[in-house]
Amino acid sequence: MKIIRIIAQVAVLYIFFLAGDYLQKLMHLPVPGSIVGLLLLFILLLFKIVPVKLIEDGSLFILAYLPMFFIPATAGIMNHLDIFSGRGLMMIGILVASSVLTMVVTAHATEWITVRRTGSRSRSKITVVREKGSEA
Amino acid sequence: MNILLAAGFVLMNVGIYLFMSMLYKRFRLPVLLPALTATFTVVVLLLGFNISYDTYMIGGEWINRLLGPAVVSLAYPLYKQRHVLWQNLPAILGGTVIGLLVGMFSGMLMAVGLGFSKLYVLSILPKSITTAVAIQISSNLGGDSSLTSVFVMIAGFTGAIGGPYIIKLFRIRSESGIGIGLGTASHALGTAKALEYGEQSVSMSSVAMTVCAIVGSIVGPIVSWIMYH
Repeated sequence: MKIIRIIAQVAVLYIFFLAGDYLQKLMHLPVPGSIVGLLLLFILLLFKIVPVKLIEDGSLFILAYLPMFFIPATAGIMNHLDIFSGRGLMMIGILVASSVLTMVVTAHATEWITVRRTGSRSRSKITVVREKGSEA
Repeated sequence: MNILLAAGFVLMNVGIYLFMSMLYKRFRLPVLLPALTATFTVVVLLLGFNISYDTYMIGGEWINRLLGPAVVSLAYPLYKQRHVLWQNLPAILGGTVIGLLVGMFSGMLMAVGLGFSKLYVLSILPKSITTAVAIQISSNLGGDSSLTSVFVMIAGFTGAIGGPYIIKLFRIRSESGIGIGLGTASHALGTAKALEYGEQSVSMSSVAMTVCAIVGSIVGPIVSWIMYH
């Protein structure tokens, strides 16, 4: 039964989350416990200690419905509705401007690093995307 | 009684989400994104029936608890894409670290400059990190997680809707630049947009998104410490 396998695998993921949370508290890490759990699972997958089959269906299920798990947290915005009016609207401008800047800087930093590496050791070639419509 | 109430809210949540994702599958418009429309519907219903957020969260908390394992499950796509990660490690790590720092500082400085309170400034910090992780970073730092998840959505829409214009205007030419740029600035929504630029840009974007979540949860506290000490 696939549904039972999914539930069991989500339980495994939950155990990794609890383990990560425990480690985080034990070692006073500034990183959230769930991220510690993610890294723990990733490392155990890399070293084949945990077989990927053990978490595959559960992960795919959770990832497919991911936005559903955000709704309760996001709905808390009902206590902050003032950000959609007056001065609050400036926040939207800040978010857009900062996100555009983030994307441009990230992309150019990435290209700069790739070109430098390609130049010095001629490894992975930089693939250039043709602008849409330019081939027409 | 509380259990019935909680179960009712959980069912409402799931029902609305499933309906909204059906609607999205049918029309494929960015404004119909289920995370947006379902949240909007829930908020309208709660306000309309005069139900407080705390009452709704008796049930909402059950769903909230699955955010932890949801973050853990990101290990799966990262593992599947590990070859992309190893082959492009300097570009992915360099790009995301530089991008995250620029994103965090620019957002916070603009918010401070325009006179927003510390709560808003801390809530904007993790805006380019995927919601499940951003919520936790925000509440750890003393921000408000619901403000953060709305900010994350706006950052996502900026990349998903504005992405093609940004790519043209700022001459981003490589698939890796497009992918890592979209993943770092706009997480899952950006990654969905990266689909249009080829397989390499999607895999780069999804790896960058997960790396961003990990790196962001490490540099986030440092950035907030620099800003407020």
